[in-house]
Amino acid sequence: MTGDLFAQSLVLGILLGGLYALLAAGLTLYFGVMRVVMIAHSAFLILAAYLAWYFHETSGLDPLLSLVITVPLFFVVGYGMQRFLVSRLRPISLTTMSVLLTFAVALTIEGLLGFVWSGTQRRVQLDYSSASIELGGVSIAVVKLIAFALAAISLGALYLILRKTSFGRALRATTQHPEAARLVGIDTDRVAGLGFGLGLATAAIGGTALALDYTIYPSLHWHWIGPLMAIIVVGGLGSIPGAAIAALLLGVAASLLQVPLGTTWAQTVFYLALFVTLMIRPQGFFGGRLAQRF
Amino acid sequence: MPNASSATPAVRPTTARVTRIAALLALVAVVLLFPSLAPDPFILSVGVVILSYAVLATSWNLVGGFTGYISLGHAAYSGLGGYATALLILRTGLDPWLALVAGGLIVALIAIPVGIASLRVRGASFVIVSIALVLILQLSFQSWATFTGGSGGLRVPRPFGPEVLRPEQHERFFYLHAALLALALLTWWAIERSRLGAGLKAIREDEDKAQALGVPTFAYKLTALVVSAFFTALGGGLYALWFGYLDPIFQFSILVGTYMVLMSLLGGVRSLFGPLLGAVVVGYAVEVFKSQYGDTQFHLVATGILLGLVVLFMPDGVIPALTSLVNRRRHAASIREVSAEDLAKQREEATP
Repeated sequence: MTGDLFAQSLVLGILLGGLYALLAAGLTLYFGVMRVVMIAHSAFLILAAYLAWYFHETSGLDPLLSLVITVPLFFVVGYGMQRFLVSRLRPISLTTMSVLLTFAVALTIEGLLGFVWSGTQRRVQLDYSSASIELGGVSIAVVKLIAFALAAISLGALYLILRKTSFGRALRATTQHPEAARLVGIDTDRVAGLGFGLGLATAAIGGTALALDYTIYPSLHWHWIGPLMAIIVVGGLGSIPGAAIAALLLGVAASLLQVPLGTTWAQTVFYLALFVTLMIRPQGFFGGRLAQRF
Repeated sequence: MPNASSATPAVRPTTARVTRIAALLALVAVVLLFPSLAPDPFILSVGVVILSYAVLATSWNLVGGFTGYISLGHAAYSGLGGYATALLILRTGLDPWLALVAGGLIVALIAIPVGIASLRVRGASFVIVSIALVLILQLSFQSWATFTGGSGGLRVPRPFGPEVLRPEQHERFFYLHAALLALALLTWWAIERSRLGAGLKAIREDEDKAQALGVPTFAYKLTALVVSAFFTALGGGLYALWFGYLDPIFQFSILVGTYMVLMSLLGGVRSLFGPLLGAVVVGYAVEVFKSQYGDTQFHLVATGILLGLVVLFMPDGVIPALTSLVNRRRHAASIREVSAEDLAKQREEATP
């Protein structure tokens, strides 16, 4: 591998890793606050991508503007999903049943997408779709930069919300010790709902970023759910910094392996990392003291 | 709940046993007579598909029902079983039936390292690993085209000669599937009555306590997974011999694994015939949806909604729901299986 190619792959890996980090943070949020494994996260991601594409098709405006609609919409849907579906599950079997329930939601979304917009592959065509920036022998597609910037801004915002606001404190308290949080007067049900909404809002942003750069089709979410699930297990279920680190590392690894191995085999690095993690450190490599029990 | 007003204890178990045996005989009779009652080969082939689903769901329940470890990726084992059978016939010229059994054994061997890795974690992580397993196999079998035939698929040689016509072939495979189903059910029944079964159920209710009481939890879980993988692989292999064609997208599909879970949950994971009942309902529905709305993605929506409803409102399945209804009507004093979940609920209700 030449130096240029290496640098190129490295940069692409970091850019993709950023997007993975944002989406994995959402997944981690659900798990941290409610012990819910949200299989439907990537289905909502594809839904957001379709909405961005449809918005662009019908209005002709930039798909990024669809965020104004999809982010609040997904937030409300997430809140509703937690309050009306997930909270109905019995606490003792919550974790496993939540997988099945959200899986059911994922299937429904995939089916409806195919039903409404057919299985045809869709792609957003923009003026800057093929534009790229040269930087020291490395060429970076503008759309990838935009996606990374969106991910970085959202992750930063997420960090600020969790650290600086009273809602963030309540959310973290609920994550650490739900009963104690209730004792000090936190409405944990409401916090859980809002946390779920926040997580789903990240899927809206990720999906819009995805629509800029990828050809989309209804069953695409399967390609995302595997790597994302691997990332949150490697990072340690429930740990947002762990998810971010694992996302960047694995994103870069997959991108570097893509040159000698090809796209398909490079994907297996996520699963390999998943199995190695379980063999060596089932609770995950970064943080994540909760993981093993769930 | 014990109730003094119930009938004399000596009579009721016998009538219950007689009803149970009669029901079992009726079930066997229906299965044996189905091929001669089926009006055309298509209906007969639907019967084969449903029996195949029943084999897979019953095999899934060997690990899912006993241990409570929900695997969404059992299609990994059925797909591997199919491919192992086909590849053994094609590459080594092995007799198809020997290839089927050898394929099952190979998959059982593969399940050992997979189990060692994935059974170290519980609940959600286990489900994630099971999903990952299917996805990784789908990727590999698509990419490794020189060995597996890749996305182009793999034609499986027919085990019967050309003189066996299509309807007759359906009929033979119907009975073969029925025999495999009977074997899987018998295994479930035997495990349920064994020490292994008691240990597995203890794991399902409270793994930490089971371990503290000296149950070799890891060895038990692994045994259950390997036995389950073996039967699932036989199911996949037999289906491959009947269908005659394998394709990585359909063999290693999360949807197939979901069907197994849905069938078992719907029928009831705690009962012997639960997955079979679920397979009849879901299998029939899936076939109807596919033939009616084959081109649209409607069957995904239907499966999704059905799974959601079952998880939300009937997580114990139809059979327990109906049994408890009947028992309540009769004020029966039967000793039922009380799960930790039920106890927790009772305690919750007791404390204001």
